[in-house]
Amino acid sequence: MPNLDTGHYFLTTLAPIKTGTTHDDRGVCVSFEQKLRMTLATLPTAVQSPATEKIQINSPFSRNLRTHLCRFMVLDDVIYNGRVDQNAIAASAKGADPIVPQKVDRLNAAYLMFAADIDAVTEDGDPLPENLTEQEQHAVRDSYARKLWETMEPEIREIYGNCFGFDQVNDANGFANYLQRCQVETTMPFNDYWIKAPKFHSLPVAALAALVLIPLIVTLLALLGWILHTEYVPVLHWFLNWTPGWTLLGGLILTALAIWKAYTYVLNNGNKPLPPGKYADLPSVLKSIYLQQNFADFVVDMQSKSDTQIHKAFGEFLDQQKPSDKLKPSQVPGVISMRRKNAISK
Amino acid sequence: MTRQLNLDDIQGNVTRSYGRFSFPCARYFFLHIDDTASGRQFLDELRAKVTTAARWTPESKPKVTLNVGFTFTGLHKLGLPTRTLKDMPDEFVDGMKARAFVLGDNDTTKVSSEDDHWCKHWDPIWQTNRLAHDPRENVHLWVSMNSQVKPGTDQPVDDLEKQTEWLRKLCSKYKNQVRILATNGQNGDQEYQAATALFETLPNGDKIPTPKEHFGFTDGIGDPVFEGQHTDEVTAQAVVGRGKWMGADTGWQPLATGEFILGHPDESQELPPTAMPPGYMHNGTFMVYRKLHENVSSFNDVIDQEAKSFASVMGVSQDEAEVTLQAKMIGRWPDGVPLSKVPTYKEWQSFRQQKGFDDPDPLKSAKAYNNYLKSTEATDFRYGDDMMGYKCPASSHLRRVNTRDYLDPLNQPTGDNPNATTQLNKRRRILRRGLPYGSSELGVGNDTSEQGVIFMVLCANIFRQFEFVQQQWIQYGLDFNVGNNTCPLLGNHDHHKRHVIPSDPATGKPPYVMSKLKTFVETRGGDYFFIPSVTALRMMAMGIVDPT
Repeated sequence: MPNLDTGHYFLTTLAPIKTGTTHDDRGVCVSFEQKLRMTLATLPTAVQSPATEKIQINSPFSRNLRTHLCRFMVLDDVIYNGRVDQNAIAASAKGADPIVPQKVDRLNAAYLMFAADIDAVTEDGDPLPENLTEQEQHAVRDSYARKLWETMEPEIREIYGNCFGFDQVNDANGFANYLQRCQVETTMPFNDYWIKAPKFHSLPVAALAALVLIPLIVTLLALLGWILHTEYVPVLHWFLNWTPGWTLLGGLILTALAIWKAYTYVLNNGNKPLPPGKYADLPSVLKSIYLQQNFADFVVDMQSKSDTQIHKAFGEFLDQQKPSDKLKPSQVPGVISMRRKNAISK
Repeated sequence: MTRQLNLDDIQGNVTRSYGRFSFPCARYFFLHIDDTASGRQFLDELRAKVTTAARWTPESKPKVTLNVGFTFTGLHKLGLPTRTLKDMPDEFVDGMKARAFVLGDNDTTKVSSEDDHWCKHWDPIWQTNRLAHDPRENVHLWVSMNSQVKPGTDQPVDDLEKQTEWLRKLCSKYKNQVRILATNGQNGDQEYQAATALFETLPNGDKIPTPKEHFGFTDGIGDPVFEGQHTDEVTAQAVVGRGKWMGADTGWQPLATGEFILGHPDESQELPPTAMPPGYMHNGTFMVYRKLHENVSSFNDVIDQEAKSFASVMGVSQDEAEVTLQAKMIGRWPDGVPLSKVPTYKEWQSFRQQKGFDDPDPLKSAKAYNNYLKSTEATDFRYGDDMMGYKCPASSHLRRVNTRDYLDPLNQPTGDNPNATTQLNKRRRILRRGLPYGSSELGVGNDTSEQGVIFMVLCANIFRQFEFVQQQWIQYGLDFNVGNNTCPLLGNHDHHKRHVIPSDPATGKPPYVMSKLKTFVETRGGDYFFIPSVTALRMMAMGIVDPT
C-alpha cells in the first residue's frame, strides 16, 4: 500500500487531455492541451518569492490545511528509449533481423498528471494514522477531493475542463469519483519530517532463513539417501528412523510451503507503512515554524534579563502563542515567514 | 605514485598564493579588446611574460609575477569558435553581475524592477562591465602583477612599475586596440586595482608583511592542498587539515588535482567537463575575482555593543567579551589559533604565553608566531568531536567555508563521531588567492574609506564550488542547523542579523545570540575568469583553437 506511508497519503492521478480544438479566453483557436498549459502557467504558486509576495495572490492549495506539496504536469507521451537491446549472438541464432523496426509504445493521448502529498486524514487537524484499511484510504482521498472542490471549484473546472470525462462532474462527490478513476498507484512515496529515525519494519532474517533452510536440508539429505539406497535418511538416522522416500516427498512439500510463506511474509512486511513522524501533519509543521520564529525572538529579548523577568515573560509567551494548540495562532500555508504580509492565522 | 604535473604549462597563481611567497603587493589590471587581430598579437607578446607554476630556485624566482585570465566576453572578442564558447559553463557565460541572486549580492526580497540600481556602490569599472546595451567598457582581460618589496619597507620593488610601463607600451604598440580600463576604485579614477598586505612596524622601523586583513584577523591559513601542487615532502606536512580525511588509516590526503585544474581526475573520479577541444582547457581553471569592501567601523561598533551584553550575561570583562565574540564569529582567535583546539579565552591566553607569542622581544615573538603558523598546529583539527559547536560555533565563518568532517552523512546532530570523514566537503573546496587592499596599516579605516580584500578563488567548477559555498554556506544556514542565519562575517545581514553561540551546559552559562549584526563585508564588483594554460594562451594568440 505505498499510497499510504508515514501517515501521509501520496496521491498520483493521470487524466487524459481532450484531443481537438477549443477557444482560449481571447477567442483564439487553441488545442485543449495548449489551453490547459496556459491555465497551469497562470495558476498562482505559493507566496514565497519577491514577485509573488508583491502580488499577494496565494496558491489555491493554500486554502486547505492538508497539502504539503502538489504538482500538475502535462505528460505528452512516454519517453521512447530506442530499441530493446538483445544479445547479438542469441538474436542472430533466432534469425531476428535487426533492420526490422521494433514496436514503439505511445500513450493514446497527452495526460494531465496531478500528484500530491497530503495528511492522511478526513478532518483538518486530525492526528496522522499509523495504518489505514483500503476503504479508509479511499475515504482519505475522497475527502481531499471534496475539500479541493469546496475551496477551489473554479480553478478545478478551468483545469480539468480540458480533460476527458470531466464534463459529467458537477459536484464534490463527482470530482472525488473522477479523481478515483484517474488514480494510479504511487510506488515510491517520500517525505522527511523525521526528528529522529523511525522504527523500521526490519526483517527477522535469521528466523526466515531457518524456516526455509531446515526443511531444505532434510530434503537434500533424504535425496542423498534415496540416491544411495540407504535404509534411513543419512545423518538424520542418528536420532530419527525416517525412510528416504517418504521424507523426500514430505520435505519437498514442506520446503515449497516454507519458501512461499517466507516470500509472502517479506512482501507483506515491505507493504507495511512506516509510522508517522511525531509532528508531521501540516498544522503541526506550520505551528512549529511559527513557534520557532517567535521563540528565537523571545530568546534574544530575554538575554541579560533576570530569572524572575524571564519566568514572567515566558508565562506570557505561553499564553500568547499557545504551543499546545496546533491550529491557532500559527503561520498560514503558502508563505515563507510569519513576518510577511497576511502570514499569521490568529 | 603522484602524477607529476606539467608545471610549465600551468599558470603560477594556480599553485601559489603569491602573498605567502613574499609577494605582498599587487596590481590587478583589466583590459578591453577593441580589435580581434590586435588582441591576438597583444596576447602573443603577453604570454611570454606569464609566470608559470614551475618550481623556483633562488635564481629563477622573479621580482614581479604576471598572470592572465579572460572573461567570457573576452574569449568571444578573441574570436573563439562558437562550438567552444557554447559549452562554457553557464555561470562563466553569465558573469558575476548576473549571478547576484545566487551570490546574495542584491536584495533577494525585492523584485528586480524595485532594485534597478542594486550595484550602484560597485566600482565604476564593474558597473559599466557587461552592460547589455553598451559593450564598449566590458572587461575582457585580467592581468595581475604581484611584486616583492624593497627590504624593510611596504614599497614594491621598482620592477613593478617597469613591468607596468611595459604593459602600457604594449597597449600603445597596438594603437590602444587593447586598452587598460582605468576606472578602478570607488571614484573610477584608478588605472589598476592596487592590493597590499598589512604591514607591521618593528621597533627598528623595519616593516614586515603580516597575514592579517583589515578587521584584524589572520587570513588564509587553511587553503586546500591538491595532488601535484607541491613536492611530496612539502605535501606531507602541508596536507594536514588542508586536504581530505577519509579515515584514520589514510589520514590527511591531498585533494584530487581535478578539483582545481581542468583535465585531471576530480574527487568524483571523473574528468571535470570542459568545452571542446579538451586540449584547450587542459591545465586551465576558473577564477572568481571579487572586490570585498570591509566596513571596519560597523564591525567595531557592533562588537562593542554586543560585547556589553555578552559581558553581562557571561560575567566577563568587556575586553574578554570583545575578543571572545570575534573568535566565536570567525572560529579562530584574531592571531589564527583555532577555537577547535583552544576553545576558551583563558586557555588561549596561556597558549600564547606558552608559545612565546607575547615575548617582550618583538623579534622573538614574531619568530615564535611564524613558526606556529607554518606548523600543522593551526590547521590540524576536525569538527566531528564538536557537533554541538561548544568549542567552535557551527555557524562560525570557519566552519561554513570549510566544513571539514561536519557534514559526514553518518554524523548525528548531537553526538560526536570520531570516525567522521570530509565526505561532501571535498567537492566544495576553493583555492583562496588575493591580498587585502587599502592602507598597508591596520586599524586606520572606517566604513567609507577604501579597504577590504581582493578575493580571488580558483576552482574547476565555479558553480559547484564557489557559488555553492557562497549561496548555501555563506548566505544560508540550513546545513548548520541555524535556518536563515548567514555567515557572521561575510553574510548579508540586511534581513538576517543573528549569530548563535552555543554554550556547553557544563559551564552553567546560557548560549548567546548576537542579534545586531550589520553587513560587514560588501561586494564592490568583480567577474568570473578563465585562467588558461600556457598552451591555451598560445592557441588563442595563434587563433587555432579548433573544436572539431
